[in-house]
Amino acid sequence: MPVILLERIPLPSLQTYTSVSVLVLSVALYYAYHTVTTVDINSIHELDFGDGVTVEPVADDEVLNEHHDMVNISLPYDSVGWNMFHILTSEVWCVWILVNSAYCCLILLGKAIQKLVFGELRVSEEQHLRDKFWNFLFYKFIFIFGVMNVQTLEEVVSWVAWFTILGFFTLLTQLSKDRFEYLSFSPIAARGVHVKLLCLLFVILLCSFALLFLSGYVGLQAGPTIFAFLAAECLLLGIRALYVVVRYVIHLWDMTVSSVWENKSMYIYYTELTFELSALAVDFAHHLHMLLWGNIFLSMASLVICMQLRYLFYEFKRRINRHKNYRRVVQNMEARFPMATKEELQIHNDNCAVCWERMDSARKLPCGHFFHNSCLTSWLEQDTSCPTCRTSLSEGQQVDPNSNVPDERGAAPPQPPQQQPQNMFTNHFFHFDGSRYVSWFPSFSVEVTHTQLLPGGRQRPIQTSQLDSMARQVQSVFPHIPTNVILEDLRNTRSVDFTIENILEGRVQVPPPGLTTMAVLTDSEEGSDDSDSPSTPSQPSPRALQLARSGEGEERVGTSEEAGGVSSIMDYNVPFLMETVPQPSDEAHFTTGSRFSKSTTERESMLQSRKEQMLQNARKKYLNRQTNSSKEAASQIDDTRVTSETNAADQVQLRHRNESTFQETQR
Amino acid sequence: MAGSALKRLMAEYKQLTLNPPEGIIAGPLDEENFFEWEAYIMGPEGTCFEGGVFPSRLTFPPDYPLSPPKMKFTCDLFHPNIYPDGRVCISILHAPGDDPMGYETSAERWSPVQSVEKILLSVVSMLAEPNDESAANVDAAKTWRDNREKFMEIAHRTVKQSLGL
Repeated sequence: MPVILLERIPLPSLQTYTSVSVLVLSVALYYAYHTVTTVDINSIHELDFGDGVTVEPVADDEVLNEHHDMVNISLPYDSVGWNMFHILTSEVWCVWILVNSAYCCLILLGKAIQKLVFGELRVSEEQHLRDKFWNFLFYKFIFIFGVMNVQTLEEVVSWVAWFTILGFFTLLTQLSKDRFEYLSFSPIAARGVHVKLLCLLFVILLCSFALLFLSGYVGLQAGPTIFAFLAAECLLLGIRALYVVVRYVIHLWDMTVSSVWENKSMYIYYTELTFELSALAVDFAHHLHMLLWGNIFLSMASLVICMQLRYLFYEFKRRINRHKNYRRVVQNMEARFPMATKEELQIHNDNCAVCWERMDSARKLPCGHFFHNSCLTSWLEQDTSCPTCRTSLSEGQQVDPNSNVPDERGAAPPQPPQQQPQNMFTNHFFHFDGSRYVSWFPSFSVEVTHTQLLPGGRQRPIQTSQLDSMARQVQSVFPHIPTNVILEDLRNTRSVDFTIENILEGRVQVPPPGLTTMAVLTDSEEGSDDSDSPSTPSQPSPRALQLARSGEGEERVGTSEEAGGVSSIMDYNVPFLMETVPQPSDEAHFTTGSRFSKSTTERESMLQSRKEQMLQNARKKYLNRQTNSSKEAASQIDDTRVTSETNAADQVQLRHRNESTFQETQR
Repeated sequence: MAGSALKRLMAEYKQLTLNPPEGIIAGPLDEENFFEWEAYIMGPEGTCFEGGVFPSRLTFPPDYPLSPPKMKFTCDLFHPNIYPDGRVCISILHAPGDDPMGYETSAERWSPVQSVEKILLSVVSMLAEPNDESAANVDAAKTWRDNREKFMEIAHRTVKQSLGL
């Protein structure tokens, strides 16, 4: 709340503030100069008249005279400059003016750095900066007046100066961190920006070392406690700055080196761990020291520090727990999933499905899917299933509570998937939570369990070999018909003769050549011929199979075979494929692939123009259809109210019905 | 780390540009920030959204593809699976851990092998076949179930609106 209040106070603009500061400073300087010179005269007068008070020509008010008297007595230096400095530092109001000017300089310096390195600040950066600033102010206030309990003005001024410098660098570090994170979102940041930011970070790092030495120097005089207080802050600053630098360097290295860097994520993980833990440890020790040394039990300050200690402790614990989890995942993975051999990788010759990069080394899961070691680690940290086929990978004793698929494999040694008949159950759990909408609505859930053999990895394993040989027989007769179509029909007929008959009679629909590619496209796991395009674990996933099947025009949604673990997403895809694929559409040209330019601006403008083209084509088509349908409507005198879209919808329903009847006749 | 996410997004962008699925255009809004995309989706043919071009925003997390992106339509879309504010509610966009509707199996949820293309294709299918069992927009689900004609009418109006006509 106080922050909001403070934000409402109309702060003067930087220009006004600077000019006022300069003005005040010049007044102070003039005063000092004037005093020094008149005191000189005074002292001459003093020689003549003894007491300079009445003779003093300029000072017309009493206060000033008094000051003069004071100053008069102690003008230690010969040069005018030093004397002026002496006056400025010895007069209270001059000291405050000096402090103000120092702040003004600091703000101007900060502004200059911002202009030079960061340019315009983003909203989130400004917000972070503001939060950090008020937080810092609050804690340091507590520290100065609550923990240190300073009394004299000199002490206050020196502590304030220390924390001002420290705060300045802390804010700069925060800003650099934010900016680095933002820059890492962009592939196109100019080299100059990186160089500037890194330079700033190095300067901060150097300054934090300098401050550390300073604190050591001060500590020699003020004792080890003060040194510990000062050094902890410097260390924290240094650790934070170094953390950003290290992450930055790793990031830049990663971006410039195009080859896959296998151990990258491990390095990143351990740098993160080390820096976060050390920062937390230092901070914790610092706060504990404050609590114990300050002898401030039973005060507001102790309460604040205790809160902070508690927070730091939980952060520490959370981090350690996360690390334990990570270690467990890595050990588990190393023990159970072997590295793929060179031959396997060669046969496989594919990209990792997680990062879409080449696999030079990979781990093999029991379900036969390959992933980069690091990609698999980071995924298993948050979920224990195969990313591709969703087979549960958890050990016997720790079944993932989220997965409804019972863990049948347990800790069984990894075997080739073909030999593992799987008896899986799929549960459909429908839940309606009425209270989400209206408080008195009821909540209920319905669970439907299918218990039949389901395609586990790819297909029903026992039948696979049989089916394959049957399919081969059929295909020797009809080489032009894709294998998946034959397999599909064989699954229904279970006989080579019937399938051949079906094909002869035209009951098996052969998809147009475009369809198979479409099905493959839809499931981008199947690589296209483009070498750059990603392709993932080789065998057709159940999804791809289903898509291919659904493309054959056989409405199978809802039939028992389809009720597998992979469900509604595909079901969604079915009508889309059926409606769009068989009709080679005329508007294809505006969605067809374009060049992928190397230049950013060109890419952006191409994307923009593609979007506009799409919109315009859609408009044209819409208007055409509108005129067509109005013509039709005009010709249809008996039913003028039929609109074009209900027409279209009817057609769809009709087509669906045709297909289902077709399927029935097939049976 | 944002580095690997950036590489993967770049690869996906490239693929979507070279080899786009029909009726879908997607890419970063501004390449300064590669984690904020805009996608244009054509209403699937033969449905009530046919012919419309619907703009949407995709926001990717820094640890993409380990976490799913968020998707939000920036135009008005009256649909059972789209929240009134435009957020899309389909299982593929939900992380394996959370289950806002309490009915999905983890198999239907996000996994790193999913991609922008698959998300957008799923959304297209969702436009074609609303799933009124897990309604994000209860009004729309009710209208879809009970008063199909009115739903069609609203959809038609949306299409017209989306084309700026």
